[in-house]
Amino acid sequence: MIERTRTVNVVATGIMIAGILFILAPIVIAFLTATLSYEEFVSGGGIRLRVSDHFWENFAHVLFETRLPAQLWNSVVISLLVAFIKCAFAFTATFALVFYKSRLNTVIFAITIVTVMLPLELIVITTYQVVANVLMPINWLLGWTGLDALIERLTGSRPYLEYSLLDSYIGVAAPIATSSTSVFIYRQFFMSLPKDLPRAATMDGAGPIRFMIDILLPLSWTPLVATFMFWFIGGWTAYLWPLIAASTPDAQPAVVGLARLANTDPDRIPDVPMLMAGALFVSFIPVLLIGLMQRQIVRGLNLSEK
Amino acid sequence: MTGTRITIDNVTKRYDRVEVIPGLSAQFEAGEFTVILGPSGCGKSTLLNMLAGLEEVTSGRLLFGAREVQNVPAKDRGCAMVFQNYALYPHMSVADNIGYSLKLAKVRKAERVERIAAVARIAGLEGYLDRRPSQLSGGQRQRVAIARAIVREPGVLLFDEPLSNLDAKLRNDMRIELSNLHKRIGATSVFVTHDQVEAMTLADRILILNEGQIEQFATPGEIYHRPRTTFVAEFIGAPAMNLLKARGEGGNLCLASGTPMTTVAHEGEVLAGVRPERIELSDAGLKAQVLYREDLGSHHILLVQLDSGEQMRLSTSQGGANADSSEVFLHIPPDAVHLFDPETQQRIN
Repeated sequence: MIERTRTVNVVATGIMIAGILFILAPIVIAFLTATLSYEEFVSGGGIRLRVSDHFWENFAHVLFETRLPAQLWNSVVISLLVAFIKCAFAFTATFALVFYKSRLNTVIFAITIVTVMLPLELIVITTYQVVANVLMPINWLLGWTGLDALIERLTGSRPYLEYSLLDSYIGVAAPIATSSTSVFIYRQFFMSLPKDLPRAATMDGAGPIRFMIDILLPLSWTPLVATFMFWFIGGWTAYLWPLIAASTPDAQPAVVGLARLANTDPDRIPDVPMLMAGALFVSFIPVLLIGLMQRQIVRGLNLSEK
Repeated sequence: MTGTRITIDNVTKRYDRVEVIPGLSAQFEAGEFTVILGPSGCGKSTLLNMLAGLEEVTSGRLLFGAREVQNVPAKDRGCAMVFQNYALYPHMSVADNIGYSLKLAKVRKAERVERIAAVARIAGLEGYLDRRPSQLSGGQRQRVAIARAIVREPGVLLFDEPLSNLDAKLRNDMRIELSNLHKRIGATSVFVTHDQVEAMTLADRILILNEGQIEQFATPGEIYHRPRTTFVAEFIGAPAMNLLKARGEGGNLCLASGTPMTTVAHEGEVLAGVRPERIELSDAGLKAQVLYREDLGSHHILLVQLDSGEQMRLSTSQGGANADSSEVFLHIPPDAVHLFDPETQQRIN
């Protein structure tokens, strides 16, 4: 039951205002700091709530004298890849799990859940090894089958295959994308669809792939868009893995590049106003996306198709 | 459109270790309207799904005409299905819903439009072709589902409880519409339901299924007037047929207590069945106490108890005349009695 008394309203509004202040405070501080000049910042003794008029100066510095604009493009590509890989794999995997009954379903689903419980941070070293040489399993296979010894005898050199994905878009994006959280969301959604729908499609002559493309995909559009946005922002803000996997500034996404800007010269106080301008610059795309797609996200995560 | 004769030849179905259908044979004539009727879990939907090709046949043969189809994929069997929850594609317009199968079958656009328009006319959906299913009423949605099924001109039309989601009035209207539609398109129709009114009114023949086996497969009249087993006798008719333990003795049918009920030619132990509407109230005969009276307006249903303890239901239009009487006398005409063997539950007379 929804209470509509005055006290409840007042208290609820109060809590909401407090929450908004709590969330907005860092952004306000970042913006205020970004308006200071380096000299004002240093003489002021650190972060203070003061407004000055050097915002565009700082912003121009970020735009024209740092690599952030190029790295912003890296971020866009990597985040798109992350979101696309996650959604595409989760969608097809969930499709198979929900619409095809197999004895292995529980096992497959359990393995899927395991990837949720093994975050990238936990397996970062082994992931690095794999990405540094994605052909490692083939080397191992050659050694295990004894083929490498055979090739050595024939050609005189032992084969060792090496292909590194470090510093590439896919090398940065793919490990971040290996998580199946969306499977849960899609599974709930698929199971809420009428169970006769795939049967009707079968009677109409649609095979599984036809059904997936013609019926399931259009129906799943809202949850797909919502999760896509979600993972896009997740890819955008990912820090640890891109820091490790992208060693050159050319390959780094903007968030990593921003952090690198902080410690260019160890003897100097970091140019915090410029960093704050950079932070605002780096976050404007996700903020813009959330602002534009707010309704879609809420609808998609509601999991109901009207 | 002409119907296809369906032959079910010793078909079985098992899931893992559970045998749902232990071996069933039947033949549905071309153009016939067959209703498969049974309690939930009797295997009727499984049987329909096997006909459709949505479930595999464990063993046995299915023939559409002379063609063996048990291993043919659903889309190549020449049958279509109407589902209980309509199962329309929510994101497509009515026209696209109806035409989806034609599109997949690579029918040219011009012909597709023509055929969609033709079935829309039959189903009374002209003017609704551009709408989405969510903008339609329940009855209209069911019409779209039917139009989608008949657009491919199937030889076999399968219905999986298509009326159970509609409200009572609409269900009556749709029943008549379905019946007319069947006569018009002539496809062999198989209709699964648990509603005996639908079965009685729609069917040319009713197949009564119990635990995967055929209890009786006959015309509605035959099933009502000459039920072959006690299961059919109790399943068809509302209120259900009264079944009493009795014995034939010297031309009289006596209750367990020895009280004679009516005359009979049979000798020995029997289960005697009498339909509630065949029991007459009279001035003399079997004495009974009225335990409960349900007034349905057009008639009354009485729950009575005989002196010997047996309870019976009877339906009477005279109920209003002696509304206050708690004591009644029953007359049971000899030809109203159905006799069943107490061991085999099979009909005797």
